[in-house]
Amino acid sequence: MSRFFATGSDSESEESSSADEITPKATGTTFNKQALLLSDDEEDTKRVVRSAKDKRFEEFTNIIKTIRNAMKIRDMSKCLEEFEQLYRAFLKSKTIMDKEGVPQFYIRLLADLEDYLNQLWEDKEGKKKMNKNNAKALSTLRQKIRKYNKDFETEIASYKENPEQSAEEEEKDDIGSASSSKSDDDEGVTAKSLMKKKPQEEEKKAPEASKFLKGAADEESESEDDEESEDWGSDSVDSGGESEDNEGAAASLAVVFLKKAQDGDKHPERKKDDRRKRHKKMEQVDEEADEEGEGEEGGWEKVKGGVPLVKEKPKMFAKGTEINNAVVIKKLNEILQARGKKGTDRSAQIELLHALAGISNENNLGEGILVKIKFNIIASLYDYNTNLAAFMKAEMWKKCLECIDELLDILFENSNIFIGENIAEDSENLAISDQPFRVRGCILTLVERMDEEFTKIMQNTDPHSQEYVDNLKDEGRVCGIIDRLLQYLESKGSTEEVCRVYLRRIMHTYYKFDYKAHRRSLGLQGETKSEQDQEESEGEDSAIIMDRLCKFIYAKDRTDRIRTCAILCHIYHHALHSRWYQARDLMLMSHLQDNIQHADPPVQILYNRTMVQLGICAFRQGMIKDAHNALLDIQSSGRAKELLGQGLLMRNMQERNAEQEKIEKRRQVPFHMHINLELLECVYLVSAMLLEIPYMAAHEFDARRRMISKQFHHQLRVGERQPLLGPPESMREHVVAASKAMKMGDWKTCHSFIINEKMNSKVWDLFPETQRVREMLVRKIQEESLRTYLFTYSSVYDSLSMETLSEMFELELPTVHSIISKMIINEELMASLDQPTQTVVMHRTEPTSLQNMTLQLAEKLGGLVENNERVFDLKQGVYGGYFNRDQKGGYQQKQNYQRAPDQRGGYQQKQGYQRAPDQRGGYQQKQGYQRDQKGGYQQRQNYQRGGYRNQNQSSY
Amino acid sequence: MGSLKDSAVSGSNPLDSPVKQIQIDGLVVLKIIKHYQEEGQGSEVVQGVLLGLVVEDRLEITNCFPFPQHTEDDVDFDEVQYQMEMMRSLRHVNIDHLHVGWYQSTYYGSFVSRALLDSQFSYQHAIEESVVLIYDPIKTAQGSLCLKAYRLTPKLMEICKEKDFSPETLKKACVGYEHMLEEVPIVIKNSHLINVLLLDLQEKSMVADKHELLNLSSSNHLEKSLQLLMDRVDGMSQEIVKYNSYCRNLSKQQQQKQQYLQRRQQENTQRQSRGEPPLPEEDINKMFKPPQAPPRMDTLLIAGQVNNYCQNIKAFTSQNLGKLFMAEALQGHSS
Repeated sequence: MSRFFATGSDSESEESSSADEITPKATGTTFNKQALLLSDDEEDTKRVVRSAKDKRFEEFTNIIKTIRNAMKIRDMSKCLEEFEQLYRAFLKSKTIMDKEGVPQFYIRLLADLEDYLNQLWEDKEGKKKMNKNNAKALSTLRQKIRKYNKDFETEIASYKENPEQSAEEEEKDDIGSASSSKSDDDEGVTAKSLMKKKPQEEEKKAPEASKFLKGAADEESESEDDEESEDWGSDSVDSGGESEDNEGAAASLAVVFLKKAQDGDKHPERKKDDRRKRHKKMEQVDEEADEEGEGEEGGWEKVKGGVPLVKEKPKMFAKGTEINNAVVIKKLNEILQARGKKGTDRSAQIELLHALAGISNENNLGEGILVKIKFNIIASLYDYNTNLAAFMKAEMWKKCLECIDELLDILFENSNIFIGENIAEDSENLAISDQPFRVRGCILTLVERMDEEFTKIMQNTDPHSQEYVDNLKDEGRVCGIIDRLLQYLESKGSTEEVCRVYLRRIMHTYYKFDYKAHRRSLGLQGETKSEQDQEESEGEDSAIIMDRLCKFIYAKDRTDRIRTCAILCHIYHHALHSRWYQARDLMLMSHLQDNIQHADPPVQILYNRTMVQLGICAFRQGMIKDAHNALLDIQSSGRAKELLGQGLLMRNMQERNAEQEKIEKRRQVPFHMHINLELLECVYLVSAMLLEIPYMAAHEFDARRRMISKQFHHQLRVGERQPLLGPPESMREHVVAASKAMKMGDWKTCHSFIINEKMNSKVWDLFPETQRVREMLVRKIQEESLRTYLFTYSSVYDSLSMETLSEMFELELPTVHSIISKMIINEELMASLDQPTQTVVMHRTEPTSLQNMTLQLAEKLGGLVENNERVFDLKQGVYGGYFNRDQKGGYQQKQNYQRAPDQRGGYQQKQGYQRAPDQRGGYQQKQGYQRDQKGGYQQRQNYQRGGYRNQNQSSY
Repeated sequence: MGSLKDSAVSGSNPLDSPVKQIQIDGLVVLKIIKHYQEEGQGSEVVQGVLLGLVVEDRLEITNCFPFPQHTEDDVDFDEVQYQMEMMRSLRHVNIDHLHVGWYQSTYYGSFVSRALLDSQFSYQHAIEESVVLIYDPIKTAQGSLCLKAYRLTPKLMEICKEKDFSPETLKKACVGYEHMLEEVPIVIKNSHLINVLLLDLQEKSMVADKHELLNLSSSNHLEKSLQLLMDRVDGMSQEIVKYNSYCRNLSKQQQQKQQYLQRRQQENTQRQSRGEPPLPEEDINKMFKPPQAPPRMDTLLIAGQVNNYCQNIKAFTSQNLGKLFMAEALQGHSS
């Protein structure tokens, strides 16, 4: 009941009272709507305006009434409940209380309640009869009220002294209000006697009828319906209470129940009464509405005729009203006030705004107001979805695009409109005057939002459907809008805004491959005339655009984020178009690798994308090592999909909750911007293969061999684990098979595994310069196979003709020569070149496996000795001890031995003997290549005898 | 198997031990070899029980039987039960049924381990004269029967009884890796009839059968040994590092303790000068709990094992060198 009353009053005082903000707002919004539709100046005057104080007091009286009823039936729990409510209500209206003083009836209730409770408390027998809940409620209530009443001691005391007077006062109040309501009722009766006589069944129809009468009244009646049940509940309590009253307060609980049963037949009647009452109330409201409607009689007449809802529009303004700026703005504000409130019909709101725009257009109110309305239309379009994750519906989206387009049209046509988000509401200038228009609002934000919405739509569309393609077609329009905005802001906006819009432009450009520029660079002309035309109309290359935009941002931007994004996009664009050196230099100059981990996730995703693109670019250029390094981070984690924002991984489903998942979903890159993961993996594995296989061959016996690529080794192991090796199917299997062939130096098989129909269609054809990449790849495979071959089989050969090698690997002689020379220089291959005969002469100095093992053992023993010395040092102290005498000699030498390997990295143990052969090799070359078997043998002897000490010496 | 008698006399003289010599029946040797050939492959180890009796200071091993190989999953197999059953059965056919030790095959001489130590300890604890026979099948395959008998030294027995392997006790006991196991000389004895048969066979056997001995180098063997040796050296390194860190912790704590004591003393003297009662003594050991000393037994065992490997390798290489020189000389002669 209290709610009903509260809201009822609320609706009436919507516009006039500011205090209404604090009233309970359960159904408030519906009334707002009503207000919004009906608010005309004339109406306000006619409304019954009640002050906040009245409203509050009404609330209090309601609660108090219930408490008294509960007291009568000894329903302690109800009492307690209501008391708490009262207390809360009291706290809420503290301000009013402070002003007006605590109302008498409130004090009276407190006093009565306390007395009553005390009385009950004394009544031991009665208490025993009470049920558990009631007894409990009684004791709590008693305590509460005792505490609470302390605050009002003086008032209560004064009341107790003089109860009648205050009671009388209250009585008067009551009568006053009753009479007023009565008069209302009477009016209602006279005005709507017909309605009143309607039977109960028709009551339901009433709301509908009123709907036609008055668009918003239906909501009210609905809310009333909602509350009906509630009201009945309290009514029944009422009745119970009253009946008990008849019996007297001393009646026990059992009697109450009996009584209630008797009451049973009375109820329908009561209900009927009640309904009738409610009916009256409704009529009262209706009537009010009528009164309001009188002002615009004509409009209302029509509606009575049952005109469909569509015709609502015209009633926006009263017929005779002169439509001017002020009126429209007022209307606009009214509409906007409903924005974001619960229960507001958002689509209707958009309709209204459109209508308003139409009206203002018809009446030539000037562009200022139109711009403002447009702003609001777009904003409410965005508002349509309350949920952040949901995306716009197609028609909404279309409408939004149109609106923004129109807005931009207006802005372009009228250069005298100033818009800005920091123009205050009251300093706006919307009227047509000499002064330029000033409108609050930020077109850039709207466009940015639109762009985000577009991304959202793309994220939420199935990428393999026709729908996606259709949606993607809008990208052109989005770009067009951004372009136009860019033009607009270049002339009007601040640098910050320009930076923002530039970034938007960049974001729509960086991932697109510029085929036209590509073709132009290749010197090809468009095949058909139309294409040529297109080329011409296209204007600048995207590279030039990117360059211009990014450089502007680098120079002007002050927020780090925009610059970072711009740099990353720039690098990406460079890499996409195979401008490897520019891309790499930019990446290195930006130092992004050092601090990217502090960036927010979307930027990190962009960074990952850029790195990947950089790696692929390096691969295309034949920089295998760079490609591998760039891709290593992304690929080694095994979460490339997640890191690139191209999908969520299933496996950590349990690690994240729904909320996180939603956030992650929002970060996803739309499908048309994806980087092909298979391509990525293939590029990575192939570059790993080209690096790892020769390395493995070179370090076959090295105990401390490190893996270059874990991922690649993993794939190899998976391949080995297979019980049955069929012909390769997947891309990975192809690479593994190719690796195996390469291990044997069989480049032709390797080549056929890497480049064939299947791999072409899966991977290589995805590159823009397919043929060039394939050629590069073949070349690399040949070279690396040659190296692998030399590493693996050098121990078998005494000498090798370079011509044979060049035939075997189909490489030119100079290339073979250069590769072998490089290997010799790098001390990877123990051999020398014999120029006249074009042969490679092996030194045969690779240690056998036993020797290797011995060397390892020696190293380990060295470590052991060192550890042991340390223990000894500890025991003896660093100074003294007889070992120290030796330390200058033996031990130190051992240390030297230990240290030397560390300096030399991979070739540690071989040091001693390796030097010697090298020197000798060089020497022999000068000598005229008189090397023969004996020389090799001697060297070996040298090595074998050399042993430990020799190594130490030669390492110095 | 041309040798009638294979004895390896160790340097240590087992004066105080009840067993000074071991006499093994040919039957036992053959049974052990057969057991390995049937059941052991690669690095797998076969084990069995030795039966015999002690005569004066000589342990005669007259028979043996293998432990059955059993898998993890048949849990209800009772080894003790099996042994008792086996011995009872053997007794019925009038064979020596006294338990005098056990045998074990080895892989490249890797037998010095914690498991061997523990089981030999329990044997020796229960039956004083127990020995463990170590049979090296790989060496045997190369032409020389390799069978060795070991016993734990009394010193080690003491330590094992205490179950205290802290550095201090080991130091006090003066147990080095050399003093862990003592080797007992072995004599293989056959009945006269068998001797006669062998002599007969020797007559008939071809010369080529004996050439296994002259097999020139197999670096494979060396490599394997080296690998095992390396593994143990690694283990040793780790142990040393462990010990090292323990020592460092200990000394650090000692320092702290000293500092604390000094400070306490200073305070006390100050208090005395002021006429106040000295601070109560606290349990210093409670405040500074000495760090847990790493057990040194593993280190000892590893050292023993490394020693073993080294000896093996040394023997092997010296043999091989000899053979190589021989081959060189022969080549020179023939060419």
